[in-house]
Amino acid sequence: MLYLFQVLNGLGLGMIYFLISAGLTIIFGLLNFVNFAHGAFFMLGGYLCWSLTELTGNFWISLLTGPPLVAFLAWAAEVTLIRRIYRLPHTFHILVTVGIALILQETTIMIWGPIGKSIPVPDGLQGVVKLWNFTYPTYRLFLIAFTSLIGFALWYLLERTRFGGLVRAGSESAEMVALLGTNIHRLFARTFALGVGLAGLAGTLSAPIRGIHPFMGPEVLGIAFVVVVIGGMGSFTGALLGGLLVGLVQSLMSTLWPEGASLMIYGTMAAVILLRPYGLFGRA
Amino acid sequence: MDANGQARAARHAPGGSGQGRDLFASLRSGPFGGPTPAVAVLLVLMPFALPSSTMATEILIFATATLACNLLLGYGGLLSFGQAIFFGSGAYLSSLTMMRLGAGLLPALLVAVVAGAVSAALVGALSVRRTGIYFVMMTLAFNQTAYFIAYTLSDWTGGDNGLLDVPRPPLALFGVTLADLSSATAYYVFTAVIFLLIFIAVRRVIASPFGSTLIAVRENEARALALGYDTRNFKIAAFAVSGAMTSLSGALYAMLLNFAPLENIQLSMSENIVIMTVIGGTGSLLGSLLGAGAWVIVSDMLAEIWPRWLILTGGALILIVLFLRGGLWGGVESLMRRFGGGVPYAADGASDAAGPPAQPVE
Repeated sequence: MLYLFQVLNGLGLGMIYFLISAGLTIIFGLLNFVNFAHGAFFMLGGYLCWSLTELTGNFWISLLTGPPLVAFLAWAAEVTLIRRIYRLPHTFHILVTVGIALILQETTIMIWGPIGKSIPVPDGLQGVVKLWNFTYPTYRLFLIAFTSLIGFALWYLLERTRFGGLVRAGSESAEMVALLGTNIHRLFARTFALGVGLAGLAGTLSAPIRGIHPFMGPEVLGIAFVVVVIGGMGSFTGALLGGLLVGLVQSLMSTLWPEGASLMIYGTMAAVILLRPYGLFGRA
Repeated sequence: MDANGQARAARHAPGGSGQGRDLFASLRSGPFGGPTPAVAVLLVLMPFALPSSTMATEILIFATATLACNLLLGYGGLLSFGQAIFFGSGAYLSSLTMMRLGAGLLPALLVAVVAGAVSAALVGALSVRRTGIYFVMMTLAFNQTAYFIAYTLSDWTGGDNGLLDVPRPPLALFGVTLADLSSATAYYVFTAVIFLLIFIAVRRVIASPFGSTLIAVRENEARALALGYDTRNFKIAAFAVSGAMTSLSGALYAMLLNFAPLENIQLSMSENIVIMTVIGGTGSLLGSLLGAGAWVIVSDMLAEIWPRWLILTGGALILIVLFLRGGLWGGVESLMRRFGGGVPYAADGASDAAGPPAQPVE
């Protein structure tokens, strides 16, 4: 029973990691751009959730408005700053986004203070669900269901809509897509906003479980990197399976060896690199 | 910045114009030539120009770590977000050798150097299995690994509280005490000597066939590979050298503070080292000193009055990428080209002549 509990926890956590990494991967796939501020936007999602919940007294409103706000901020950053540096090598992408992450982190501390906050589990999802003699928190079940829904919607968006077609075509050759008459700048800005918005959504959803603090960005970024190193950058399936694997490892290890749970995430990565240097689904 | 200004003036004097230049040019190629005498002069002036010799010591310690990062980024094109692994393990391991084994100063520093080289070779060996962006992500992930190891081993590292009461033993060789380092000035002199030796050593490394190969790997890895160089091993070796230097600076830092905090091994320390390197200017050794100096001085001025000063470094990173890709030293160089007629040490190292900073080959 304890293991079932931890497996479910791991699934929920893994889906959160999937959302973060999918955002990172979509941006990298189309824009060939590495967003080191991804973790900071995740943190911002959590803080906006806290503020909006305080303001409106309703978690659902903050779930509906917070992530789009994060996406809007990302869009603004893309239009004003990031699109100027696409042509530069990756090193400069990293430096600029590290700069953005620092600015976001310090601004967060200025606005919300250096001490972490906790967010109450939303009304209606506070209790536990009882199945025979097994009980499980309702919010965590909701989390698994909702993130699966988002994952499916994302798959539909990428695989079955015109926008998704353009994103995938652009990942193969952005130049060709531009030559065929698509406004590639707009497509890039929207994709960047979408990817970062996913990080914001993940931040919002995980806030009631894990709380928020201003220094959570780098930690989340590290985990997202582990997921894409395991799953392969640019691979949607890789992000899903990598995210679930990391989530399960972390939550199962937290019963077996609590102090080492975070450590084992990185151990998993090292093992994958040794056995399959290009990740489970990566191409050389 | 006063110290840098003076040093620049001092450096200009012999090589500026006239007959002095020939003699100077002959000195240029060797590790003791070029900017080395100027750096030596600067090291003498620094404690007088700065508010305290402790601050000067801190600058040199971070300048050592920055030089090590620069060796990877500026010359090898390898952006490492794992430098704090080596900085932190140097601090912990040297402190523990002194505290648990009662070792003296030099054995403790030696332990740090060896541990830094070994751990960096290990991290390097795993990370260079991938190139480009994956490589950078893996160095970052390994930094998190090291952080969690240090956090978990709190019996040894003190965990969140850090390792307290790190001693600063006197400089002794074979049981003979050579110098007491307990005063801030004495410790500065010791650090300055180490920094100068490292500066010379790095210049020597860059001028060596190893350095040229490293630069070749940065410029075009596929071609270097085709020419028969085992580029992976070169990268791992560069990592080991860089790790040894970084670890040494971590050990010196712990002795300066008498304390080895957990922050030493945190990702933010890696970030700080990268930021100092980039702000100073990648691919230029003087830039590293400039970057570390700017960082320490600005943080010292602002940390008291405005704890959120880090937001400025975020802005500085963005501005440097947009407008000043050579960093501060690159800016100094272009000013000299415009107004001073020539750039001192232009022939110094490959990348000074190469212009824009190094970029990893994707």
